[in-house]
Amino acid sequence: MQKIWLLGKAFLKREFILFKRYFFNSLGGIITLYVIFLMLFLGFKGVGGPNVGESIEGLVVGYTLWMFALSAYQDITLTIQREAREGTLEQLYMSVYNFGWVMAAKTFAQSLINLIIVVGMLFLLMFTTGTFLNLDVVSLVPLVFFTLPNFFGLGFIFGGIALIFKQINNYLQIMQFVLILFVSVPVGSVPIFKFMPGSWGSSLIYRVMLAGESIFQFAASDLVFLCGIGLAYLLLGIAVYKICERIAIDRGLLGQY
Amino acid sequence: MVSSDSILQVANVIKNYSVRKGEPIKAVDNISFEVKKGEILGLLGPNGAGKTTTVKIICSLIRPDSGTILVDGIDNFQHRSKALGKISAVLEGNRNIYWRLTVRENLEFFAALKGYNPKELKKEIDYYIDFFDLKDKEHETANKISRGMKQKLAIAVAMVTNSEIVLLDEPTLGLDVKASYEIRDLLKKIAYEEGRTVILTTHDMNVVQDICERVVIIDKGRIIAEDRIENLMRLFQVKSYKFILKDRLTDEQQNQLLAIPHLTLLETEDATEIELNLENSQTFYQVIDILRIEEDTVIESIDRQEINFEKIFMDILGRSDEDAKDLAVG
Repeated sequence: MQKIWLLGKAFLKREFILFKRYFFNSLGGIITLYVIFLMLFLGFKGVGGPNVGESIEGLVVGYTLWMFALSAYQDITLTIQREAREGTLEQLYMSVYNFGWVMAAKTFAQSLINLIIVVGMLFLLMFTTGTFLNLDVVSLVPLVFFTLPNFFGLGFIFGGIALIFKQINNYLQIMQFVLILFVSVPVGSVPIFKFMPGSWGSSLIYRVMLAGESIFQFAASDLVFLCGIGLAYLLLGIAVYKICERIAIDRGLLGQY
Repeated sequence: MVSSDSILQVANVIKNYSVRKGEPIKAVDNISFEVKKGEILGLLGPNGAGKTTTVKIICSLIRPDSGTILVDGIDNFQHRSKALGKISAVLEGNRNIYWRLTVRENLEFFAALKGYNPKELKKEIDYYIDFFDLKDKEHETANKISRGMKQKLAIAVAMVTNSEIVLLDEPTLGLDVKASYEIRDLLKKIAYEEGRTVILTTHDMNVVQDICERVVIIDKGRIIAEDRIENLMRLFQVKSYKFILKDRLTDEQQNQLLAIPHLTLLETEDATEIELNLENSQTFYQVIDILRIEEDTVIESIDRQEINFEKIFMDILGRSDEDAKDLAVG
């Protein structure tokens, strides 16, 4: 486990160095997300008029969740694509660790950086819109922690597909919009939606941030379901990834782009 | 027969690639060979011979259809992590390193990837930065250093993790002469000073002749020759001489010379060139005797032609093609 921690630290250092070294580019990504939100926000106000109230708060939470989901799921896929394109994927596969651990360490590092960006962005969005959400850290941290595996699972599925086909950018773009659906479906009114990846966790986060509920007010079954569905999607993602990886190793596709 | 000092044993490895329509492509067709500790082995063959597939099978990057690879006695697919702890590779066509990280950052990152704490490896990292003459560039990002230096860094990355086997796919490809010689010297040092086993693929026969102790030659996925360089040189060596004479030869001399096998006669208006490939030295003296029939015949010079490994390599490939044709006819 200590070695896995070392690996995580190595990735964290690498991601931080790259974030800092190419800060102008990193900043460009943050500005793009902020500009997209501004357009949504201004459009929303234009359509809904001055009395949109709670809907704006919903928009802020929804957009924050979408950014988080997007970064969590895309990171695995984009990493595999980039490493294959840059000719370092085979070196990662020659690590003494199982590649799953390598990706887990990379995802851990990237998620920490993403978390800082998303939290910073959340404050910026609240400041921009003049809304003040319930930021109950004790409730939100475990909810986010157990919601993330849903999106990691999706990341592994698309990462596996990318390992074989490499060029899947069009599908990734479609998924960006599908993710909006996953984080915003009305789970309360249509219960079947809670089986969608990330939807149940997102609904609980909405309840904390918008309705001011605490994790201690949730039924134990709700939290068990949150853990269960996250684990299920993560395992499904890993299983699909493993199948794709086997195909790629059998066909000698790891180094090709 | 498995010898006890083998660090790598490749046994009966077969790899076919299936294609949508038609027969599967035989990339590696039942190859077996061993590599001894501290040896520099050349894995040679024409394009598409199966060299890179073999290297990637050894690195567990491609799964063979059958056969086994033992790295220091460890099966590379059954105990992948343990086996990979003993192997590093610099693969052709890949960057192998992160261009946006500095020389030092690359070494630290890949050390962690092989299970080492970069802080504990600081001495080794410093040592290899000096060893590969990268001190001046240690804080430069890899995209800003020359191609030769990038290749040195990729090899340094492969070395820093104490891997016992270093596989290099075309290590001198695209490098200028100076960089190529530097890499050759470094590879010799790696094997002779560090005691690492080096397996390299290359099309550059000068590199092979200069640094390899033994070669395995693959063609169409099969091993067609495997021996020490000096044995192959001896086996294929044909002493080749060029005689230059001042005048034309008499008809009698010409007739007698043309009866000698492997002799080519080229006559110009005022001189004669004789090219002779000898398999035994008696023929040499026979030629001299024929030239001495006429007292007027003046031998201006006799030059011994140098035979290099490239010629031998081409001969081996040529023989393999003829064997394949014979088999097809048979």
